Amino acid sequence: MPAETDNDAAPPGRRDRLRRDVVLGLKAGVSTFWLLARFMIPAYGVTLVLERLGVIETLAKATAPVMSLLGLPGEAALPLVVGYVLNIYAAVGAMQALSLSATQITVLAIAILIGHNLIIEGAVLHRAGMNGFAFGVMRAVAGLAAAAVANLLMGVF
Amino acid sequence: MGELLREFVEGSLALLLRVFVIVVPVMVLLELFEGSRPFRAMVRSWSRLVGRWLGMREEAAAPTLIGLLFGLAYAGGVIVRDTRRHNLGRRQVFQMSVFLSMVHAIVEDSVIFISLGASVLWVVVYRAVWAALVTVILGAVAGATVRWRGRRQADDR
Repeated sequence: MPAETDNDAAPPGRRDRLRRDVVLGLKAGVSTFWLLARFMIPAYGVTLVLERLGVIETLAKATAPVMSLLGLPGEAALPLVVGYVLNIYAAVGAMQALSLSATQITVLAIAILIGHNLIIEGAVLHRAGMNGFAFGVMRAVAGLAAAAVANLLMGVF
Repeated sequence: MGELLREFVEGSLALLLRVFVIVVPVMVLLELFEGSRPFRAMVRSWSRLVGRWLGMREEAAAPTLIGLLFGLAYAGGVIVRDTRRHNLGRRQVFQMSVFLSMVHAIVEDSVIFISLGASVLWVVVYRAVWAALVTVILGAVAGATVRWRGRRQADDR
C-alpha cells in the first residue's frame, strides 16, 4: 500500500514524538498524582482527627490574630505550617479538612506556593551555594506578604 | 467514629478524583507543549525578559526557565552546571535562586491548588509577578551592599 508508506515516510518522527510526549505526560501526571495521594490522604486524615479532638480549635484561637491579616481563619495556620515543614501535597490534604471559601483557598494557596518544603528545598539551594535557612525565612515572609496583599487587592476588585 | 471514617473516605475520594482529572491532562499538555514551535519562541522571549526585567545575564535564562517549568530539584543541578560553564557570578546565582525559590514547577504545583478551587490568575500570574518584584528588589539590595562593602574596603586601604 503506497499511500500508507507515504504517510509513514513523510512525518516519521512526528507521530512517534507525539506518542512519546503523551506517554511521558501521562507518566508525569500519574507520578504527581501518586505523590499527592501518598502525602495528601494521611494529612487529611490526621487533620480530621485533630479537628475532632479540638486541637485545631485551640491552634486556631492562638493564630487567629495573625491569620486575620490574610483574611484567613486561625485554623488555616495548620496547612501553612504543614506546607513549610513537609510539602504542598500534605498542605492540600490539611486544607481539604477545613471549610474555606474560594477567596480563602486562593490566598492560602499563594502563601503556600511561595513558601513550602523549606527543609528539602533549602538543601537544594544550599547545594547551589546559597544559605538555605535564610532562603527559608525569606520565602515564608514573602509568601505571607504576597498573600496579605492579594487578600487586600481581591477585596478591591 | 464511623461517621468520621465515612467523612474521611468520601473526602479522600473526592479530593483524589478532582486532582486526578485536572493534573494528568495538564501534565500531558505540558509535555506536548515542550516539543512544539511556540515553546522555542517562548525560550527566546524568556531570555530577553530575564535580561531586561530581572537584570540577569542571558545565560541565566536556561536554568530559570527549566526551574520555572520542571522544579527546583532539577534546576539546582542546572544552576550548578551553568554557573561553572558560563562563569556566572555569585549575584546571578543569588537572583536565580531568589526567583526560583518562590516560583518553580509552575504548572505542576499551581494545578494542584487550582483543582482545589484556587484562581488561576492569582496563583500563576500574580505569584510570578510577585517573585519577579522580590528578585529585582533583593538583587538591587545585594548589588548595593557589595558596592558599599567594596568602597569601605577601598577606604581602609
